[in-house]
Amino acid sequence: MKKLSENTTDLLQEIKTEAAELPKNKRRDFMLNGLKLTAGTALATTVGQVAASQSNLPPNVPEWSKTLGRGVVSVPYGLPSSYESDVIRRTVEWLTADKIASISMTPLHEMSGIITPSGLHFERYHGGVPDINPDEHRLMINGMVDRPLLFTMDDLMRFPSESHIHFLECPANGGMEWRGAQMEALQFTHGMLSGSEWTGVRLSTLLQEAGIKPGAKWVLAEGADAAGMSRSIPIDKALDDTLVVFAQNGEMLRPEQGYPVRLFTPGWEGNTSVKWLRRIEVGDMPWEHREETSKYTDLLADGTARRHTFVQEVNSVITSPCPEKPIQGKGLLQLEGIAWSGRGKVKRVDVSLDGGVSWQTAKIKGLVLTKSLTRFSMEINWQGEPLLLQSRAIDETGYVQPTLAQLREARGTNSIYHKNSIHTWQVQTDGAVNNVQLG
Amino acid sequence: MYNSVKKHFKTLVLAVAAQGLLTSTAAFADEPKYGFGRIATQEEIAGWDIDIRPDGQGLPAGSGSVADGEGLYEAQCASCHGLFGEGEGRWPVLAGGEGTLAHERPEKTVGSYWPYASTLWDYTRRAMPFTAPQSLTADETYAITAYVLYLNEIVDEEFVLTKENFSTIKMPNEPNFFEDDRPDVKNTACMKDCKDPASIKVVSTIAGVTPLEHLEEGAAETAAEAASENTHGKAIYDQSCAVCHDHGVAGAPKTGDADVWGDRIATGTEMLVKRAITGYVGDEGVMPPKGGNMSLSDEDVAEAVRYMIEKSQ
Repeated sequence: MKKLSENTTDLLQEIKTEAAELPKNKRRDFMLNGLKLTAGTALATTVGQVAASQSNLPPNVPEWSKTLGRGVVSVPYGLPSSYESDVIRRTVEWLTADKIASISMTPLHEMSGIITPSGLHFERYHGGVPDINPDEHRLMINGMVDRPLLFTMDDLMRFPSESHIHFLECPANGGMEWRGAQMEALQFTHGMLSGSEWTGVRLSTLLQEAGIKPGAKWVLAEGADAAGMSRSIPIDKALDDTLVVFAQNGEMLRPEQGYPVRLFTPGWEGNTSVKWLRRIEVGDMPWEHREETSKYTDLLADGTARRHTFVQEVNSVITSPCPEKPIQGKGLLQLEGIAWSGRGKVKRVDVSLDGGVSWQTAKIKGLVLTKSLTRFSMEINWQGEPLLLQSRAIDETGYVQPTLAQLREARGTNSIYHKNSIHTWQVQTDGAVNNVQLG
Repeated sequence: MYNSVKKHFKTLVLAVAAQGLLTSTAAFADEPKYGFGRIATQEEIAGWDIDIRPDGQGLPAGSGSVADGEGLYEAQCASCHGLFGEGEGRWPVLAGGEGTLAHERPEKTVGSYWPYASTLWDYTRRAMPFTAPQSLTADETYAITAYVLYLNEIVDEEFVLTKENFSTIKMPNEPNFFEDDRPDVKNTACMKDCKDPASIKVVSTIAGVTPLEHLEEGAAETAAEAASENTHGKAIYDQSCAVCHDHGVAGAPKTGDADVWGDRIATGTEMLVKRAITGYVGDEGVMPPKGGNMSLSDEDVAEAVRYMIEKSQ
């Protein structure tokens, strides 16, 4: 057993140096183990880990260079490397009564770019994931139409289709933090958010086939799941950019995302993008079903409640560093994050290192698409000083992401939904990152 | 191709001309452009069109009394929602909470929050009971709706809810909803000296409520252990048993609670499987045959029981 160094900073540096030589996922575990060591636990296991990996490091020739690897179609549908097994969706069990009507979050801290792998897209169900045979699935259009129609999946796929990259976000994202910070990981503070390329037919094309009767103002979208999920959508949105989607990221939808067909309302709260879509009814008033009255309405401090709160307003968060991705060492640091707005494109993102006293404009990385995740970065030189990191996004309508104090002032703390406030990460001198709020 | 486009254009022009103006909802041609899919029959629509609106549109003929609703509610709803609508565990509270919406901890129930009684009728038929959605008849749905309204003191105990009198029910909180008027806050993009650094107070996280086991030492071993468990039994359990057995609802022995499982395990796996398949009435509660999901095979049930035993030793 190695004796703890008297100077924990030295030990920390030693751990960091050793960790830098490990593969990525091992490095993360190692760092966390190492950080705990500074609090006084034994070093035996971590020393063992390092020793075991030396044989594959130069000047030695690694094991995998001296043996043949596996052949084609040994894994007909490819899977991530076994070393990435900790990159998975996770849930917070106490949030809901049961896993069947619950939510899981995307590991945003492990994501790159603006597309979330379909298998890591956050999940939200109200009656579990149905196992739907596409040959036995139908989409019905009825109500105020000239011709009520019934489509097979084959019928739907004969219509002209479009592909668009958009984010999808549950309006309860961040909803656990209205009263105070309590989620000690980015996955749980912001992970009800994903980005995908969605392919489908415009709902307007299908409604045109059915022929909308004069006076129609709303449509009801209804799912084929055990919750019979149902939401009322204003006709203007239905005829605008709303899609009837069958594919995500180049393949048919995953069961968790509505296989074989779902609605997709770009920029609007995720619940309106009804999955396992079985029916669209056209009418002249909203249906005011459970998920648009009892839930998904925003209770204010005075006891009144805002309803039909569809748009996801501009939001952003720094994804590196974050609690799961502490700073690895002093020197140049690539600070990175994502921003998104349900009202259009992200125009600008500012970053503060001092809790919002001063701000600098970050660089936008890669594609800037409407109602899509947009990546930003900034290079800073970190010399071990404590930071209060924040990002503040501005969208093309000119709307500036608000502070939590502003949201609380306007809404109180019982809204649950649509908390899009500026988020704060506290960086400690050792590079560790905590979720905090500024009073 | 040219002809079909031309034909469509002609139809569109005629349609617009006939209506005299072009609006977003009236601009469509009389003829379908693609002709894919087929006309849905009235019978097909009737089978799926189950939605109810606040104005009563969609309600089927039928009726149900508070008295009838009481028995149905106690048998089908109370195990999760509580005998008086108070909610078991984290399942939704249905009654009470009047006057709490502006409190620090508001209680949002059918009576205190929901703006329309039609929502209750629609949701009860659409999605309840949780393990058997769309299983209630129209009369049963009227009766359960009447009973939940009674629990909220919106109707009296003699009340009989019918299609005809439905629109007379007014929910007390309806006037307190208003349409989305966001953006409701206006931040500015200040760049320098935006606040006094001395005024910043850092409020830390409430410790211990986040599941962070995966970031701790030994997480890989735990994951490997989880991967080797009885996955079929777990899948059946999650789908059909967890609703009650995760939380000990309705006298169900809670999975993982070695104390309550000890005596049961002692009676032998075979006996427990038999009881789970055929149903069982004990001192503390009732186990319906196959947990109420008759689509499960005997072997499915056995796997789920074995999974629960493994988890509860």
